[in-house]
Amino acid sequence: MGPITRRIGTLQGPRGWAVFFALIAIALLVPLLNLMVPAGSLFYVPDYVVPLLGKYLCFALLALSLDLVWGFAGVLSLGHGAFFALGGYAMGMHLMREIGDRGVYGNPLLPDFMVFLDWDHLPWYWYGFDQFWFASLMVFLVPGVLAFVFGWFAFRSRITGVYLSIISQAMTYALMLAFFRNEMGFGGNNGLTDFKDVLGFDLSTPGTRAGLYVLTVLALGLAFLICRFVVKSKLGRVATAIRDAESRVRFLGYRTDRFKLFLWTLSAMLAGMAGALYVPQVGIINPGEFSPANSIEVAVWVAVGGRGTLFGAIIGAFTVNGAKSFFTGWAPEYWLYFLGALFIIVTLFLPGGLVQLASRVRDGFTGGRNRGLRAARRSARATEGETSHAT
Amino acid sequence: MKLLKRAAAVLAVAGLMGASGEAARAADEGPIKIGVLHSLSGTMAISETTLKDAILMMVDQLNASGGLLGREVEAVVVDPASDWPLFAEKARELIEGEKVAAVFGCWTSVSRKSVLPVFEELNGLLFYPVQYEGEESSKNVFYTGAAPNQQAIPAVEYLMSAEGGSAERFVLLGTDYVYPRTTNKILRAFLHSKGVSDDDIMENYTPFGHSDWQTIVADVKAFASAGKKTAVVSTINGDANVPFYKELANQGISATEIPVVAFSVGEEELAGIDTSNLVGHLASWNYFMSVDNDLNYAFIDKWWEYTGDKNRVTNDPMEAHYIGFNMWVQAVRQAGTTDVDAVRQAMYGQTVRSLSGYDVQMHTNHHLSKPVMIGEIQPDGQFEIVWQTESPIVAQAWSPFIPESAKLTADWSYPWVCGNCTEPRYADWFTN
Amino acid sequence: MLRLRTLIALLIVALVGLAPLAATAADGDEEVFQAALKGITASSFEEQLAAIDTLAGLGDPRAVTLLRALGGGMLQVRKSDGALVVAERDGRDYILSDPFTGEAMGTVSRRDVDKITVNNALRGAITAALSRLALFDPDVAKRREAVAAALKYPSPEMATALNKALEAEEDADLRRGMERALAAARISSPDKAERLAAIETFAGSSDPDIRSLLMPLQDEATESDPEVRTAAAEAIKRIDNRLALFRLVGNLYQGISLGSVLLLAAIGLAITFGVMGVINMAHGEMIMLGAYTTFVVQEVFVAALPPAYLNYYLIVALPVAFLVTALVGAALERGVIRFLYGRPLETLLATWGVSLILQQVVRSIFGATNRRVANPDWMTGGFELVGGIVLTYNRLIIIVFAFAVLIALAALLRYSFFGLQMRAVTQSRGMASAMGIVTGRIDAMTFALGSGIAGAAGVALSQIGNVSPNLGQTYIVDSFLVVVFGGVGSLWGTLVGAMSLGIVNKFLEPYSGAMLGKVLVLVFIILFIQKRPRGLFALRGRAAEM
Repeated sequence: MGPITRRIGTLQGPRGWAVFFALIAIALLVPLLNLMVPAGSLFYVPDYVVPLLGKYLCFALLALSLDLVWGFAGVLSLGHGAFFALGGYAMGMHLMREIGDRGVYGNPLLPDFMVFLDWDHLPWYWYGFDQFWFASLMVFLVPGVLAFVFGWFAFRSRITGVYLSIISQAMTYALMLAFFRNEMGFGGNNGLTDFKDVLGFDLSTPGTRAGLYVLTVLALGLAFLICRFVVKSKLGRVATAIRDAESRVRFLGYRTDRFKLFLWTLSAMLAGMAGALYVPQVGIINPGEFSPANSIEVAVWVAVGGRGTLFGAIIGAFTVNGAKSFFTGWAPEYWLYFLGALFIIVTLFLPGGLVQLASRVRDGFTGGRNRGLRAARRSARATEGETSHAT
Repeated sequence: MKLLKRAAAVLAVAGLMGASGEAARAADEGPIKIGVLHSLSGTMAISETTLKDAILMMVDQLNASGGLLGREVEAVVVDPASDWPLFAEKARELIEGEKVAAVFGCWTSVSRKSVLPVFEELNGLLFYPVQYEGEESSKNVFYTGAAPNQQAIPAVEYLMSAEGGSAERFVLLGTDYVYPRTTNKILRAFLHSKGVSDDDIMENYTPFGHSDWQTIVADVKAFASAGKKTAVVSTINGDANVPFYKELANQGISATEIPVVAFSVGEEELAGIDTSNLVGHLASWNYFMSVDNDLNYAFIDKWWEYTGDKNRVTNDPMEAHYIGFNMWVQAVRQAGTTDVDAVRQAMYGQTVRSLSGYDVQMHTNHHLSKPVMIGEIQPDGQFEIVWQTESPIVAQAWSPFIPESAKLTADWSYPWVCGNCTEPRYADWFTN
Repeated sequence: MLRLRTLIALLIVALVGLAPLAATAADGDEEVFQAALKGITASSFEEQLAAIDTLAGLGDPRAVTLLRALGGGMLQVRKSDGALVVAERDGRDYILSDPFTGEAMGTVSRRDVDKITVNNALRGAITAALSRLALFDPDVAKRREAVAAALKYPSPEMATALNKALEAEEDADLRRGMERALAAARISSPDKAERLAAIETFAGSSDPDIRSLLMPLQDEATESDPEVRTAAAEAIKRIDNRLALFRLVGNLYQGISLGSVLLLAAIGLAITFGVMGVINMAHGEMIMLGAYTTFVVQEVFVAALPPAYLNYYLIVALPVAFLVTALVGAALERGVIRFLYGRPLETLLATWGVSLILQQVVRSIFGATNRRVANPDWMTGGFELVGGIVLTYNRLIIIVFAFAVLIALAALLRYSFFGLQMRAVTQSRGMASAMGIVTGRIDAMTFALGSGIAGAAGVALSQIGNVSPNLGQTYIVDSFLVVVFGGVGSLWGTLVGAMSLGIVNKFLEPYSGAMLGKVLVLVFIILFIQKRPRGLFALRGRAAEM
């Protein structure tokens, strides 16, 4: 075993790996049950469940990316939706170009909305997106560069805490307004929609959707391992120290801004990937994804799951979105009460999120020390860290 | 990590159970389900909740009078929360999970665009009740609102007539999204054809929910001081209208000087404004609550009874749902089934006496022929109809004023069988 | 309803006063009069217009009452005998009365009468006709209104009427107005000298209406004489130069107005967020609750008090809204936020939940649709400052109100004992507690104060915008930006922040459009924070670390 594989092996204990692969296996079972099992069987998964779970997986990936910066470097971004949406737009632009002359106006070069608004040529920033490799590159590059530039200025100026949260919110708000403008050439309020296929696969067939779903599962698994790798490394430990006492770390001679900038940019790229996987599965990307409320919601998912634990973010994304899907159908007039109450209860009684709840329940049975408790303690420490900063 | 697994297992099992329960229920027994896909929370709740109530009321009535095909009709209400991707998710859930026979829903164009692929993929049926920009004709959507030629063009023609004040200069104000952009594009082409030059047209777009109208109202006043009768054509959306009209009234712009004709302002929007200073400003719709006929009065009475509030108003999109719902009921009765393909065939040529007092008909381009009415705002928040078409006008799904779209035909009957084609597609149905 | 009654009362008074005069009208005139009455009910729009002009020219006092009723949209035709009646709506029936005598004629169903539809064009003609008649009104105020209208509806008939009125007019101010109106009417005169004289009269004007009148004179299509065209072009150029200058003043005023709205929205947040460090996402909902309280107070006034008091409902709504939202704020603080001190980012999540719940509560109680909150009379309309810049009363009052709230708050913090305690608790909780201050109570009161101010802001903001469950969401992002831009914890920072953002926005808007203008302002804030990470007015020392 080489040094790298050995390090990967130590990312989590043998039990951790077992659970990790078991979860991936369960997740991969879903499209199999959908495609192979006949409808009407007890184990049949209806078609609509696959894209729904696929959507949750994308949100989980987004939550994971936020947890990386918030849970481990103490940078609460209220603008992560912007990176997600930018990744989504990059993919959406590719899907628009793939439509080719099958749009309603049959223009081989221009997407429908441009024909419709009298554009006579393709804007320069749409060039290259007809190539899948280029679009895939942009999925990471656009959010990455924006995050790098934003972070480079912000962390160098030592903008921290609430100030950073608010200006990241301003960033996504500004982008939302900009993308709303039809002159921008991104389809305005309607955004990009009407996609036909990706890499030659018809987007409306269950097979393609299952493929996208599998891809998302693997992407989430990979992203989880990457994040795990990063936070376990020395760099990650310095970041955690920055979260708990930035000034002290700086006085010890670390360039704290560079550590934060690395995590921040990585996180933005992961968010971009989440957006790129999201778009073909839901079939639309529009400026609503930039809205500040969406980004706040991402923070809520992480908090509900338990921040600073990585898998807490995933649990949170699944719980909140699952609850939202369920309540909006089951109690359309009252679901906001449930959701609002959930946020308040979690913040008040479960500062460590659902992960903490899990460990509490387990303590009741076994009383032993375990991963969940350690996670809870970690987040409790994080809380203390914040306290020492607060007035 | 074990816990995580357990949680995941529970989730998966729950998902499977729910799913299999759904699958076991056949679509042919029990009540006929219809979906109601209107936002009950978020920004669009202001407009859409009323439509949900209207559908529920009509379902109640239908059940009270014996139901449909001997079965009860059940409305499945979901809340897509003004979140566009959620619209698509909920649409999928309604059609696949709940097996609804038809869906009544959506307000904004973007929500319709978001659910469109879902309806086309699963062969669902959507009744879309709002006036919109046209440029669309899907096999799976019936558009019961107005197309631009049923609202915008007659209104501008009226403004240019002696009766409407002989306007020669136009300000096109809109919220920056596809409906105002398209409508204004069509109007500009139309005004050119009437000899109005570009110097006499001012176009301005504002963000959603724009609340500070000082600059724009001042700009309109300045634009109007060029010695020609000026009129404003407003495609300002929903929320932004209240501050706009308040500013207009307080800056003292009266309708006799600069009339404002709006395409998105109805009784519901005016309910939020004191209209005593807005008398004479106009709106163009296919229905007004003040329409004087017994059918309309009976509907209003039922509406008041259903909501228990005599201050509730009715409006054009509600009337569109009234037409859509009754047409669907007629078509289902005629087809003897709720099967989507059969109902769609039965829908073509279906006629309903609408609340506006006219017989409106569904055409094979999936749009209605509707009358056009122009109303002036009254102090009580109602409109007085000052002009209306003699007979219903047939909707143009594709505007002849947009060169690319003028080439296209929407006709889902023989021999076209297509929503956007330059030549008939009937033959293709055999080769494919 | 109020207007309707006044109108009817007016009618009756006018009729009683003028009835003897009517009797003396010559028989020939009577024929014309009756013919005009028929013309009013004609189906053709042109005939109706002609009838209105005839009526106005007769000088018959009955014409005034008739035209007023027509302009108010109350004139109907009784189907049974074709008689003209004034009809007042009562549910779906109409209460009829005679248009000339005011005598009651019973109640009929809507089927028995036909409304004479009045559209904008007819309404304009009626206004012009009535103002022509009102030029001779004994009441000075009426004459002034008439002169203003005469300027807007110039015509040869108007010129004749004005000439006649000038002979009798004694008020110097009114005479000047009439001369201007006369000149306006003369612009369309066939005589070149008259037109030139009219241009001369208006060269010094700065009124966009006048500019509008002069425009046809510089256009080749409508003016044949080159001399007149040059003179007109010259005059318009001078007017335009002045108007451009006034526009700047207008922009400044609009900026201050927008700034005051931002200030009002943000000022409560400057307390809850700025002073207490709570990232209060429910702040917007406090504003919304204030607006809905205003609505409730208004409804109570409508239901319980005579209409005359309705004008003062805002004065009652203000303290009520303050109290209601302060109580909600105190409950919120005691119930949720006090467990979260020192964890500012978590207050964000909890208050986000609270904001969702509050929105849904309001939606459940009041419905999702907009609610009508009327401007009282003293906040309706505006006055023209100069050059077409209208200062609207509602915005003016909001500017004054925003400053008053800011000053009162600053004074409270600076001079009151509560303010002293509050500052002590924020600066050093432990020390304050040791000195005997009950910090928990002070926290609750501070949060209640911030929320109460947000509620009071809601009262003001209900006067310019929507009252809907989404109201709060529209202000929340802007409020946070203002507070952060100005500097957390600094009231003056909030003031300067709000005002500069408002003014910058309004100066950008004419060039960039509303949408791009806002984007530019946001980018500007992001860049500015890089330069000054703690905002405009940063607190120094330990308190700045948060």
